[in-house]
Amino acid sequence: MSSSKSKLGKLDFDPPVTVASGTFGTEYFDFFDQRWLGAYVCKTVTFEPKAGNPVPRLYETEAGLLNAIGLQNPGLKGFIGDELPRLRDLLQIPLIVSFSGSTPTEFCQMLECLEKQPGIAGYEVNVSCPNVEKEGLPFGIDPDVVFNLTRELSKLTDKELTVKLSPNVSSIEQVAQAAEAGGATSLALINTLWGMAVDWRTGKSRIGRKVCGYSGMGVKPVALALTYKAAQAVKLPILAMGGIHTWRDALEFFYAGASVVAVGTAMFSNSQAVVELVQGLNGYLEERNLRLKDIIGKVS
Amino acid sequence: MSVSQKTLPVSGADTPQPGYRVLWIEDHELAARCVPGMFFELKADRRDQDNRLYKPISVYQVREGRIAFMVKEVGDGSKALCLLQPGDGVRLIGPLGNAFPLLNVQNILLVSGGVGYPPLSFLKSCLPSASRVIHLHGGASAKDVFPCDIVCTEDGSAGSKGRVTDLVPSVIADNRIQLVYSCGPQPMLKALARMVEGIPHFVSLEAYMACGIGVCYGCSVPVGNEFKRVCKDGPVFNAADIAWEKL
Repeated sequence: MSSSKSKLGKLDFDPPVTVASGTFGTEYFDFFDQRWLGAYVCKTVTFEPKAGNPVPRLYETEAGLLNAIGLQNPGLKGFIGDELPRLRDLLQIPLIVSFSGSTPTEFCQMLECLEKQPGIAGYEVNVSCPNVEKEGLPFGIDPDVVFNLTRELSKLTDKELTVKLSPNVSSIEQVAQAAEAGGATSLALINTLWGMAVDWRTGKSRIGRKVCGYSGMGVKPVALALTYKAAQAVKLPILAMGGIHTWRDALEFFYAGASVVAVGTAMFSNSQAVVELVQGLNGYLEERNLRLKDIIGKVS
Repeated sequence: MSVSQKTLPVSGADTPQPGYRVLWIEDHELAARCVPGMFFELKADRRDQDNRLYKPISVYQVREGRIAFMVKEVGDGSKALCLLQPGDGVRLIGPLGNAFPLLNVQNILLVSGGVGYPPLSFLKSCLPSASRVIHLHGGASAKDVFPCDIVCTEDGSAGSKGRVTDLVPSVIADNRIQLVYSCGPQPMLKALARMVEGIPHFVSLEAYMACGIGVCYGCSVPVGNEFKRVCKDGPVFNAADIAWEKL
């Protein structure tokens, strides 16, 4: 897998592929060896446990998936007590912990707490989930807030600190630059787009929460454009995701400026998506005698 | 036990009613692991389904290393499954989910609605032979009816006219029912849960699913003050535990 090895800030990625937070669990390792991933990104942890959103939470559209899970998770204590030890035992690849707070102070408290735990290689700061009232969103859309938050968090860790950005902003460049100025060591994008679906027969929303998150095939062109814009605006490496199903999709993102890519919704329709992606990517690079770094950001 | 992911040929198929398809696959190892209540994630092995979600389909019958599924044509994914012919490939993940608890009681009532029929049909074949089992099934019309003990249809085209739940109170009273198993549309299950309160009642829930293996929390249902995953914590729940008013 060496021709496609990459780096995301302080982390080596070989292969340059991981999973989108919230779409993956170790259950998938029943279907493929974990070493097909360069790192494992866990489902976002919040300070307090979260029950999640009312049902229904899912709807498959013509091109992609709507979801309103609402960060259902056992909270930081539950994560540290149960999930983290389990992951530590099971994982042979770096663990990136995705977390989100409802205030800047809470974000900092969470990071301080996580820093005391062994077995964590880096953090994904989720400031962009569209499905929760408090956590994330007010942070992710305001460059000043992103700057201040990232500045405080970067003082607390020497590990990889990637900030997960929302696509639902008017200027991805400004938010990306704010995270960079604050001390983020990489960026992750995109989180889900706003989405909605209505049953035209009854007029009823398909999703309990009505407006929710949209991911999968249909968001790829949007994610690609935002990856390119962010890559143009900052020097930070980018962990890109949004509708990536195949190695051909992944290549588009690498050319647009991604250093590492993540697979999310594609896992639900093809649990071999990661394996096929890595094999296809390696085949492409070997056939052309290229290294991955030769093509990152080289869209013409 | 780990979950299997395979592509297998359809070994047999038939159309029990228009809009429904029974698909058989042969896999001795998978068949040996199936118990009533479990389901598989299925999709047709066709290019146009590559990027579509799997559909959760209950185990309908298990016989000599073969597993049958009954699929109702609802959307594109189930339609692609219903078009499968013997020899065509079906992609599957499973077996998934928990099982109906088996209790040693005398008088058991099964209540199914529409495509809630298959898991109860499988359950019936596994219940203790000493028990007296009554299977009550309802559908929209005669096209939604399958072999059982008492039938009713909403349009009256087979059995008695009305909803399946209309018959439940008298069946319970006349037969001293001690245990109820059910599967069907949510409004039916909700009404049934109220009617049989006080009698042990296990319900298999249907839900929209993305992963099917417990990862995404998309299929969660309200149980007490929390949400439980239909795919991994269910699909069978004690009806008394479900917060029906939030469903």
